[in-house]
Amino acid sequence: MGFLNPLLLAGAAAVAVPIIIHLLNRRKFQRVVWGAMRFIKASVDQNQRRMRIEDLILLALRCLILALLALALSRPAMKSSTTDLFGQTKVTGVLLLDNSFSMGVSDGAETRFDKARKAAEQAIDALPAGSATAVLLASDIAQGLIPEPTFDLNFARKNIREAKLSDRASDLAPAIQKAIETLKGRAALRKEIYLVTDGQAAGWRQLGDIQKSLEQTKSEIKSHILLVGAKEEGNLGISGLTVAGGLTPVNRPIRFEVQVTNFGKEEAKNVRVTLGVGSEPSGDEITVPLLRPGETIGVSLFGKLRAEGFYPVTARIPDDRLLADNKRTVVCRAIREARVLLVDGEPGTEPRDSETFILGHALVPVASLDRENYFVKTTTISAMELSTTRLDDFDAVILANVADFPEATVKALEQYLKRGGGLMVFPGAKVNVGFYNDVLFTRHALLPAALGPAEGNADQEEKFVTLQTRNYEHPVTALWNNPGAGTLASARFYRAFKLEPAAANQKPAATDAGPARTVLRYADGGPAVMERAWGLGRVFLFSSTADTAWNDLPVRPAFLALVQRTLGSLVQRQDEGLNVPVGQEFTRQVSLDLIGRDAQVTGPAQSTATRELRRIELANGVPTFRFASTDSGGAYEATVNDPPVVIRFAAQPDPRESDLAELAVEDKEKLKTAASVYDWSPSLSFRDLVEKERVGTEFWLPLALLVLALAAVETWLAQWFSRQK
Amino acid sequence: MDKQTIDSLLDPLTIQRAEALGLQARYVVEGYMAGEHKSPYRGFAIEFAQHREYAPGDDTRHIDWKVQARTDRYFIKQYEQETNYVSNILLDGSESMQYGSGRLTKFQYGKMLAACLAYLILHQRDAAAVGIFDQAMRDYAPRSDNRATIHTVMQRLAAFAPTAQTNIAGVLHDIARVVRRKGIIIVISDLFDDEEKVLEGIQHLRFAGHEVVLFHTLDPDEFEFPFKGLVEFEGLEGIPKILTRPQEIRKSYLREFEAFRTRLREGCEKNHVHYVMVNTAQPLQEMLSSYLAFRLKTTTR
Repeated sequence: MGFLNPLLLAGAAAVAVPIIIHLLNRRKFQRVVWGAMRFIKASVDQNQRRMRIEDLILLALRCLILALLALALSRPAMKSSTTDLFGQTKVTGVLLLDNSFSMGVSDGAETRFDKARKAAEQAIDALPAGSATAVLLASDIAQGLIPEPTFDLNFARKNIREAKLSDRASDLAPAIQKAIETLKGRAALRKEIYLVTDGQAAGWRQLGDIQKSLEQTKSEIKSHILLVGAKEEGNLGISGLTVAGGLTPVNRPIRFEVQVTNFGKEEAKNVRVTLGVGSEPSGDEITVPLLRPGETIGVSLFGKLRAEGFYPVTARIPDDRLLADNKRTVVCRAIREARVLLVDGEPGTEPRDSETFILGHALVPVASLDRENYFVKTTTISAMELSTTRLDDFDAVILANVADFPEATVKALEQYLKRGGGLMVFPGAKVNVGFYNDVLFTRHALLPAALGPAEGNADQEEKFVTLQTRNYEHPVTALWNNPGAGTLASARFYRAFKLEPAAANQKPAATDAGPARTVLRYADGGPAVMERAWGLGRVFLFSSTADTAWNDLPVRPAFLALVQRTLGSLVQRQDEGLNVPVGQEFTRQVSLDLIGRDAQVTGPAQSTATRELRRIELANGVPTFRFASTDSGGAYEATVNDPPVVIRFAAQPDPRESDLAELAVEDKEKLKTAASVYDWSPSLSFRDLVEKERVGTEFWLPLALLVLALAAVETWLAQWFSRQK
Repeated sequence: MDKQTIDSLLDPLTIQRAEALGLQARYVVEGYMAGEHKSPYRGFAIEFAQHREYAPGDDTRHIDWKVQARTDRYFIKQYEQETNYVSNILLDGSESMQYGSGRLTKFQYGKMLAACLAYLILHQRDAAAVGIFDQAMRDYAPRSDNRATIHTVMQRLAAFAPTAQTNIAGVLHDIARVVRRKGIIIVISDLFDDEEKVLEGIQHLRFAGHEVVLFHTLDPDEFEFPFKGLVEFEGLEGIPKILTRPQEIRKSYLREFEAFRTRLREGCEKNHVHYVMVNTAQPLQEMLSSYLAFRLKTTTR
């Protein structure tokens, strides 16, 4: 016997109320100075005993009514597993339906998700009459179809039947936590969680925490885990698709890096990988002869973007039982050309002596005859000419060993960056450190770091520092995490400035300045290259020279890739966010004239008839398009009419979800200590399994009826007693 | 005493109506003015009443010689004499008379009644004495047939304020002993005393040859008992307070009260006493004129 609202038992103190009222009433009377007392006295003597008894009966009834009311409100309940005399207890439940993309595995007839919906309906059917349930979709988040328990079980069934599979990964911990939170505060005799999921190990990656949560609430909340879907041995998936170079120029073959993984336990042979650009179903293709279990192979495929604009690029492998990971899409924006202004602070007498000689060649790595046709166009000027050059004609400006420049040029650079221009700064022997630090770093906050003391000696070759060899975090350098892409570590730095970024809590002087990030480090951990976003543009600051005066990086093969990728990052700064993980919000800054306009968004699995509308609104003072419903992997298209603007972006599913490995037997046993685990099959009678546990009853209704009856008796008695006697 | 208070005791309308009816002594009343009343003294004046056998000591002048001649026995002739009667108006001035639910308390009503009766009696050239009593006679205006006495009577009535408990029976016994001359004794009281003793007192008065009229003065609350809710009754004559719900004891109260009245009424009837229930809510003139009309009808010479 227990109470579901034990605090309300305190209401039993209300039995004092009739007594207090009785006592107070005794103090509230009419006073009459009376002559014929002997008759009253005689009558009272005759009736006193009866009146006292009647008073006591009424008082006792009133106290009893209040005490029973308090008792009914505190919802007394009896849990019992030995008798079903009182029938089944009402259940307040939360149904968690796994809709991560591994639930899309089909056995040829139906998917795991189809089975899960059936199992979920069975769980609802097994609820005793008067029960309530919430329905949540569980993937890496808990998405409330019916966030709070409803008594309308048909509504719950309808929601389950209409639930949609997503391309999200599965991590069941947040969903289970949400379910526990939903139930915890509720006053119910029986609380149950039903989790319908496949037995994929990836979903239970936080098994320890899940088990702990379930164990802690075991006495209050009963958990049932229904595992659907047969064991699946083989699955191939595309686990990655990236643009290999930083730049995506029009009409030039662009290399895409496709990673294919064998998540199964058997070898896969002759896996055909195709690449489709835009609406073309397939372009370049390659066949991977052998993929061993657990192996990931990266292949390069080439595609061409025909004109300027956004292109979805999709890599595909042949369909297997899990469709969602058989293709992967990225969106890239094609550019016609990238114009770069090289400002040479030390031109020298011969071209090859110039500070920007190697840099210029790294930016345009083609024979001089082909330079005209190459998409990167460079213009080299001296530091003197900087103040008279129109910066807006260029996509990026590179300052190489420029001593300093007038304030007006700093202002022009600021405006240029604000509008989306890119700036690359290479220091050298000629730079005016004071100007760089006081004006460019402190006053205008253009540079991501101040130039500290220049360390090392450029005139010798014995003492040098090298760059980091692994754990590249910045997108520009992430390429070198793959050893096959070459190395940066071979470069030797004889002399370099120490980059000193502002303290984390120090606010930059300019509001347009973004946080400083380290792109590349030296082996000792000190920053070698840093960057910061500035307005719509971006600034990269190197710590050493662009030529071989202080280091030999410019003559290493990796220099070309580093410069190209840095240029890509500058030119296509806004394109970085075009590809988001499934479930993450897509945001993109758009031009001012689009404020207040509605963009129609078509998702990868949607027809044009089911477009979603999103209004373009100001975010932090910048007109921004936002779209958060990226539950499906693939390309999305947002269009604004008049003037026609099209933005394409893509969502990529988490490759970990492709791993269909099942929860280990020992983990399953561990889970069974905290929850009931069933392997679901259509013939499983879930009702029989749970019914036995649900006996017990609540007593508030009979108590409430008793209170009503007593109240009626009290009213009648009060009338009867106060009649004339 | 302020004139207004005194005047209020004599309601002109009441007097006007009552005058027409007069106050007939119901029985033969001893009187010294040959008035409109039968005399209790059978004797020797105007109107023959009966014969009685001679007894030694009787005045021989009254022997009916004609009868003696016929029968050879001595009979005395007795006559009825119309007398001026003497009325004693006794007003209960105990605390319990102070209750009043309406405009007037029982005592005020009683005072008006006493004043009107005194006026009427004096106006008929009869003699009236007015006394106010509680446990004993507190104030007494000796008998007088002088009309001017009415003023004194009213002053005394107006000046009296009740303070003590009642002892009606004792007072009646005293009156019976003290008032030698037979007349009308008018008692105005709520009679909240032991009714057995009260009746004994009345019997004593009757035995002394007085005509007794009992004006049982009651407030409507006392015989209707209309109270509701929780009421504390504070006794006027030293009885402890009682807190009760009157509605729940109403029937029982009314039963008790009615039994009390019945005992009184029956006792009065047995002693040939006019029992008049006075409802203080009823206008005085109505009450008085209806009583006098009744009296006129029942009084025979």
